[in-house]
Amino acid sequence: MEATNSIDRRKFLKLTGISGAMLAIGFESLAMELGEDAIVKAIMAEDFIDGTAINPFVIISEDGQITIMATIPELGQGINQGIPAIIAEELEVDLGKVNIVKSSATRKYGRQSIGGSRNTRSLYGPMRKLGASTKEMFIRAAAKRWGISTNDCYAKDGQVFKKGSSTSLTYAALVKEAAAIEVPKNPTLKNKKDFKLIGKPLPRPDLEMKVSGQADYGMDAKTEGLLYATIERCPTLQGSVAGFDKNAAMAVSGVEKVMEVTRKVYGKDNVGIAVVATSYHAALQGRKALNIQWNNAEFAKISSEDIDKELGALTKEEGYEHVEKGDFKATLAQADHVLGVRYDLPYLSHTCMEPMNATVHVKEDGTCEVWAPSQSPQVQRQFARILGIPDDQAEEKIKVHLPYLGGGFGRRSMNDSLFECLQISQAMTKPVKLIWSREDDTSQGPFRQRTAHAMVATFDADKKPIGLQHKMISQAITTQGRPSRGRLPFEVMEGINTHYDIPNISTRFVEYKNQIPIHWWRSVFGSTNGFAHEGFIDEVAIVAGEDPLQFRKDRLQSEPRYVKVLERLEKEANWNKKLPKNEGKGLAIVESFGTIVAHAVFLKKQNGKVSIPKVVSVIDCGVYINPDQVAAQTEGNIIYGLTAALKDPITFKNGAAEQANFDTYRMLRMNEAPRAIEVHIMENDEAPGGMGEPGLPPIAPALANAVFDLTGKRIRTLPFDLQKV
Amino acid sequence: MAKYTLKINQQEFTVDADPQTPLLWVIRDEVGLTGTKYGCGIAQCGACTVHLNGTPVRSCSLPVSAISGQQVTTIEGVSEDQSHPVQKAWIEAQVPQCGYCQSGQIMSAIALLDKNPKPTDDDIDTAMSGNICRCGTYTRIRKAIHNASNEISNGSN
Ligand code: FES
Ligand code: FES
Repeated sequence: MEATNSIDRRKFLKLTGISGAMLAIGFESLAMELGEDAIVKAIMAEDFIDGTAINPFVIISEDGQITIMATIPELGQGINQGIPAIIAEELEVDLGKVNIVKSSATRKYGRQSIGGSRNTRSLYGPMRKLGASTKEMFIRAAAKRWGISTNDCYAKDGQVFKKGSSTSLTYAALVKEAAAIEVPKNPTLKNKKDFKLIGKPLPRPDLEMKVSGQADYGMDAKTEGLLYATIERCPTLQGSVAGFDKNAAMAVSGVEKVMEVTRKVYGKDNVGIAVVATSYHAALQGRKALNIQWNNAEFAKISSEDIDKELGALTKEEGYEHVEKGDFKATLAQADHVLGVRYDLPYLSHTCMEPMNATVHVKEDGTCEVWAPSQSPQVQRQFARILGIPDDQAEEKIKVHLPYLGGGFGRRSMNDSLFECLQISQAMTKPVKLIWSREDDTSQGPFRQRTAHAMVATFDADKKPIGLQHKMISQAITTQGRPSRGRLPFEVMEGINTHYDIPNISTRFVEYKNQIPIHWWRSVFGSTNGFAHEGFIDEVAIVAGEDPLQFRKDRLQSEPRYVKVLERLEKEANWNKKLPKNEGKGLAIVESFGTIVAHAVFLKKQNGKVSIPKVVSVIDCGVYINPDQVAAQTEGNIIYGLTAALKDPITFKNGAAEQANFDTYRMLRMNEAPRAIEVHIMENDEAPGGMGEPGLPPIAPALANAVFDLTGKRIRTLPFDLQKV
Repeated sequence: MAKYTLKINQQEFTVDADPQTPLLWVIRDEVGLTGTKYGCGIAQCGACTVHLNGTPVRSCSLPVSAISGQQVTTIEGVSEDQSHPVQKAWIEAQVPQCGYCQSGQIMSAIALLDKNPKPTDDDIDTAMSGNICRCGTYTRIRKAIHNASNEISNGSN
């Protein structure tokens, strides 16, 4: 199609990263350039890098190019640079001169999966150590060459220097010797005050590709002879195929195959019909002709109204104990005043901007090439079992590309589309790209949990709170498709702050079960619990006749980090300033994934229209890598959380989701977004907390609390229409 | 199937496609320019935005048969080296997160500034509301458009 120029490998490395280059010039010409047989050997990112690998992450070429591998899936959180920056910091190299290369997915990099805002948190220590021990190896190699003690050497800017002289050796000159040195177990780490990269707002190199259409997403995977697949799945998710018109689909020009494909979701096998064609358009036309009849009567009963009633009935149950402080029940009898209300949050779809997709090529020679847009891309072992490849050959025979991810939000920790695509490619021994339509992506789940919260507060004669109960009713992610464990499931109480100094506190969980699959969704239970808890705390503060910020500060004295965050918010948001009558403000503070976040939301009513002029955020995430990324993730969480609060829910009728595309499952848009978002980061030496999710839980309650301040109306059910408050 | 000659980024391409095939899939899978993205297929998200004779259009909802002979510009045709003022402003403000929506955002922003080099916040709302960003980069997009606008008007003075 396009004119292909002969390529300069090094230039491509520097300018575009690997996979962009592969896309730009095409697979075959690249294979020729490399003198490889493209049909036999998958060309992986690593094949482009020259030099000696001192460890799997750091490669140095003889001409001095330092490459650091970016091995963790990049879904917008900046990890592509974040982890290499940590290594570069301790290694003492100039990040600007480092070539950051997005790796493939393979065991040699350790665990590459991402979720739970855990990557910076869990990799911070090990990656500093890796950088520091690598530096140490260069110092030892130099000391040996010079015949001096390592104490008389130091490293700077990719070189080892002799102390007190200008004699130096570059890492490149030392790499062969350094690579032979045993890896030091306890290298000395730098002092925080000496950091040149960590804590600085570094521009992200992947953005160059993202403003020019060159970043390679899973959706962009390219290989010779690629076929395109779409799958019609049961609208009720579960059910079996009673019949379909295979001939009609096969009759569509371009359609090559029509076959059954199984999708496993939390232990349930769901069969769908795949249509595979020479173009995606043809595959969709074939799909329209399928006319599938489903056997799904037993799954077609559930509706949102029933779910609502079932949850309501469960609010009367005792449930499992989470935290019990004092004797909440006793306060019910003593109380002068009792406030009891219910909060409700809907099912939601993750809705990554890039719909689910996968590309798999099971080849005639028994090898397999995979493009895995996944938060958990190391699929070799599982694929090997399906393909009958022995475990010990899985890494060699199954090569996995790691594309950029067009969003993840937890959804891409489930590899259902990869396994669907594998079945198709295995049946055809051809390369196949499976594309989920937006409608598939929205309506096929798994979803964010729908929850109900029975909240009760008890007050003394002075209207001061003496007791608080938060009873949460929901499905649990970890007990789906299996019997309840008879105890509190994992993480369901995330985001419920039991530090509030109210003498009697009771937090409990009542397990609900139904057929709808739920899955980790950005901030998970924090997203639902945070809304109910912080909305209700606001209600309690109002009953007590106290300012909501002061109320929180006064009752969180046992937690100094919370207090500092609140004090900072008070100042930055100018909280105590009186607002005109047509404006309102609300705040909330939630800790999740090791990070404390408080937001203040400001509302303004003008010409009958309510807008959000400003959100002010204060973040305590301990030590952070890139403050601009902390801000970006917080901005993103605010928009994601506002969408959840203000736009569409996923509802069910006759067992099927009622929303399908952006016309029925609407997203917050530019004109509805806050005009300004200010993010302030606390400086301290606490352990690094997560940043991908913690900004989300406090946004909806801060918004609802602002609505109360503006209108006197209490929002307890999400979503709601901001224009109708 | 029929043959179509398309003018994309000043180059001619001849493709064989069903007349009803959306331009989006022809650009991506036949021509091989994958910077233009699929997000919804029903003209609701803007991820597939390209310029048709300089006007932003949703390529997911335009059949290939309808555009013959007209000039198509995709994100790849904006500049050779990310040097368009809008691209530079995007980098400066570190706009993209996952980046998937950004080709469409940039195409809409360029079209806005071509027509209206000094847009107000309300103008930006109107021009950009057709482009969804699930990662929530809206405040940075707004800032980048203002910066690009300043850059463009300073440059032309
Ligand atoms: S893909 Fe065209 S507007 Fe969404
Ligand atoms: S940057 Fe991810 S959708 Fe916009």
